[in-house]
Amino acid sequence: MKVPDSILNEKQPMVDWTLLGAVALLVLTGLAFIYSATLGSEALRSLPFYQQHHFKQAVWCALGAALGVLACAIPYARLLRYALLFYWGCILLLVLVLIPGIGTSHGWGAMRWIDFGPFQIQPSEFAKLGLIMALAHYLSRPIEELRQSRVFWSALGMMGLPFILIIREPDLGSALVLLPVTLAMLVVAGTPARYLIRLGLAGLLLVSLLLVDVLFAPPNWRLKLEDYQRRRLLVFFGLDYTRFAPPHATPAELQRLRLQQQNDEYNVRQALISVGSGGLTGKGWRQGAQIALGYLPRGVAHNDFIFSVIAEEKGFIGSALVVGLYGLVLACGLRMAALARDRLGKLLAVGIVVLLFSQVFINIGMNIRILPVTGVPLPLLSYGGSSVLCTLIGLGLLHNVYLHRRD
Amino acid sequence: MAMLENLHKGDRPLQALAGVMAAGLLILLGGLWYVQIVAGKKYAEEQVAQSFRTVRIPAVRGKILDREGRILAENRPAYHASVYLEALSPYFRQTYAILVSNEAARVRAQYQRNLSREERATLARAARYMVASNIVSRLGLLLGQPAELSPAAFHAHYDQRRALPLPAVMDLNSNQVARLLENTILPIGVDLEVQPARIYRHGSLAAHVLGYLRKDNSSFEGEEAFFNYRLPDYRGVIGIEGVFDAQLRGRAGVKSVLVNYLGYRQSENIWTPAEPGMNVVLTLDTELQRVAEKALEQAGRDTGQPTRGAVVVMDVQSGDLLVLASAPAYDPNDFLPSISPELMEQLNDPNLRPFINRATQERYPPGSIFKIVTALAALEAGVLDPREIYQCKGYAQVGDTRIDDTAPPGPYDFLRAFKLSSNDYFIHYGMRAGLDAILRVGQRLHLGERLELPTGQNDGGFFPTRAWINQRRARGIIWSDGDTANICIGQGYVAVTPVQMAVMTAAIANGGRVLQPRLVQRIEPMEITGLGENVVEYPPRLWGELGINPHHLELVREAMLADVEDPDATGRRAAVPGYRIGGKTGTAEVKQGRRLVDKITWFVAFGPYEQPRYAVVVMVESGASGGYTCAPVAAQIFKAIRDREQTAPLAMMPTP
Repeated sequence: MKVPDSILNEKQPMVDWTLLGAVALLVLTGLAFIYSATLGSEALRSLPFYQQHHFKQAVWCALGAALGVLACAIPYARLLRYALLFYWGCILLLVLVLIPGIGTSHGWGAMRWIDFGPFQIQPSEFAKLGLIMALAHYLSRPIEELRQSRVFWSALGMMGLPFILIIREPDLGSALVLLPVTLAMLVVAGTPARYLIRLGLAGLLLVSLLLVDVLFAPPNWRLKLEDYQRRRLLVFFGLDYTRFAPPHATPAELQRLRLQQQNDEYNVRQALISVGSGGLTGKGWRQGAQIALGYLPRGVAHNDFIFSVIAEEKGFIGSALVVGLYGLVLACGLRMAALARDRLGKLLAVGIVVLLFSQVFINIGMNIRILPVTGVPLPLLSYGGSSVLCTLIGLGLLHNVYLHRRD
Repeated sequence: MAMLENLHKGDRPLQALAGVMAAGLLILLGGLWYVQIVAGKKYAEEQVAQSFRTVRIPAVRGKILDREGRILAENRPAYHASVYLEALSPYFRQTYAILVSNEAARVRAQYQRNLSREERATLARAARYMVASNIVSRLGLLLGQPAELSPAAFHAHYDQRRALPLPAVMDLNSNQVARLLENTILPIGVDLEVQPARIYRHGSLAAHVLGYLRKDNSSFEGEEAFFNYRLPDYRGVIGIEGVFDAQLRGRAGVKSVLVNYLGYRQSENIWTPAEPGMNVVLTLDTELQRVAEKALEQAGRDTGQPTRGAVVVMDVQSGDLLVLASAPAYDPNDFLPSISPELMEQLNDPNLRPFINRATQERYPPGSIFKIVTALAALEAGVLDPREIYQCKGYAQVGDTRIDDTAPPGPYDFLRAFKLSSNDYFIHYGMRAGLDAILRVGQRLHLGERLELPTGQNDGGFFPTRAWINQRRARGIIWSDGDTANICIGQGYVAVTPVQMAVMTAAIANGGRVLQPRLVQRIEPMEITGLGENVVEYPPRLWGELGINPHHLELVREAMLADVEDPDATGRRAAVPGYRIGGKTGTAEVKQGRRLVDKITWFVAFGPYEQPRYAVVVMVESGASGGYTCAPVAAQIFKAIRDREQTAPLAMMPTP
């Protein structure tokens, strides 16, 4: 893209303070509400401060900030020469995490973490960055080459590999986030519309087939979805579990299904009650009844459902402010994409912006029940080292594009 | 926005992206707006609903007092040792962890599998019970009273009433309360709870008047209907407790308990305090009641069976019921907190029937005491000259019916006939006066009419009316002279309650005023501050006038005096030295066909003769005779009255 002369002639600031300010506010908000969300758990409060969630998160944030600054230091063009290396490194980790003994489930039933003693990493988070870098690198080739179907299919393949590996963990949410990122990057790169339309139609067909299959097909025709994934969809669509019972289910089994349904609906319901009961101004920091009384499950309050804690304690004003801050970050990101010196920088910036947006939309959407529950963290706010680290690195890369817009 | 101005420069994909993201954020904002602002109230309510439990707190029940303010029913503080489960929950977890690790190791070693969800739940239950029963047995050691927690009771409490303290040892004695209070190291979660408990300090005294309570936690009219939990409460079943239940009960309050997601109590506060009930002040005289009940109990002692009978003492000037006793009685304390099945079976004895208030609820043939009515009817009809001599045959012949007489044959004037209770004499003059004359007097005394005493135990007895006789005739049952003759001596188609006889005796004694018996003086608030209190008074009420020549009443009173004072009179056993009493005995026969199955013995009396103030009615079922069984009971009562009037004449002044 041709950068207008007017911009080049102006004296450009080196650091985008708006972005930095918004990110810093989000990080601090995250720390404050992780503290609030873990207040209800006596077991956690009795730990020394350096083992408490908010402190650990602060350490990750500091580390992330340092890595983010580092990611700004080397011009992105030089950095992305190693994009494929990084990509394949992530793929390796995604394979490793599936091997029992290396990957660990933390008792959550899904193999998502690799244990490094004092800390664990979640390869799927890194894979998101890896894919963006690799795609930016791959799609920044001359626009004529993008007309070849080979390039289009390779790009899809680059997305497909981590997608399938992450699904295998299983972590449907993290895998699904890759789809909009790839799509947006393909669009911005200038992939011909016919491919995109075809892709869009195929995607639509696939999703509807999947839904019809999951929700309405006779049992033995159904796709082998993980049980919890099917249940989440059923919860979202408000369907009765007992309709999906095996044909000759005993009353005891049906009863068990009903109980299961109650439990599964519980998190969603409690999150919604948290958000709704916040009202306009909220109950005040650390005053959330859902946390204090433990109705919002303590296991998820500080990560996937951190937003409902903020919404309950700070009300609509607080939650709108958070959404506004994300809007600011996204707007900065888009501006950086527009200002980028070359297509590589622009694609990198777009990938990161869309990744952020998708996660924000899915996470907040599930907190207010306009989307089904999927384990997608809220960037910068949710507890989780890998997530915050990768988000800050991503933002560093984004800023890198901005810093080196004139080189 | 300025920072997006670069997007206007024609990069369509970026513009589209910006549009999509802006739309996405707007959708989120819209959703948040809907959930937090539009539906916010609904969710706030849902949150309250899931985290608050309402508890019904019963109000302190009003007292029942006698005419002197002496307490018949009141409340005492009952101390219960309770265990607060929320304090135990960390120990539940601890014990559960130990049980699970042991059991999991065993199952893995033996069956190579993990514990199932159900097995874990069972272990959790067992752990909870272990902890709680351990605490309760330690509490028992501390109290010096073996205490056991039944698994069923514990699990039921845990499942249904987790936010409330678990009652461990109920109703501690003062010694145990002291031990708990002195002990600084109580078992975890144990605390002392105080709840008011009903107590009847005089046991079975006036039990039928007081009635009894039954456990009933349900909401009453005008009260919030929905509660998550209800504290134990009682409802009056019968007697004053039953009829004045609404006034005595007060108004239950509401307590809210904040519970966490596990259902344990977090904190609590009172939303609406309970309003205490009102006191009910009776006309009864506790001391006289005690004397009467004791005398009644002893009346039948030579039969070897508990006495079945009743005593009524009425103030002849006001109609106040000073004594309303029925034997055998129950002890209302036995119903609290609940009555044992064995005791209940005793109380349901078909012969003794302790639940029946024999003074008001049961109808009896009056026998010879009804001759008072016959005498009045004959005197009023002008057919009876008291000095006229009538030759008695020792039996009465009416048509083809022969009625035996316990009085020997010979010449009788009114006085002699009355005190020897001659059947022949009263049948003779009663028949001459005619049925209608007798019915008129009976109706003026409101015989056959239900008395509405506020004990819920009322019966009107039976007294024929012309309308009833005509109705029967229409069905072909003819009223015969024999029927009239029977009525003259209080047999046949007449049945009365002891309290009706008290009304009759009082009317004779006070010169013809038929008074409504009064049992409740007033209902007053528990605390009297004198500031426009809402006191409900029940003044004495005149029921009607007898409309009988005062001279004739005087004649009957004289005859009644003779029936007690003359050495050959049937009621001589009622005589009290230093206190003049007029009375009349009665011994009614209960027949099945021609066979005599039971005798109802009576004694009705008034005193003092000079200035009548008290009417006393004694009735004993299966007694020997009115004179032998019942008159001594009346004597005991009059003796007590005499003694009190001599020591403190003013204290006995009945309210006018």
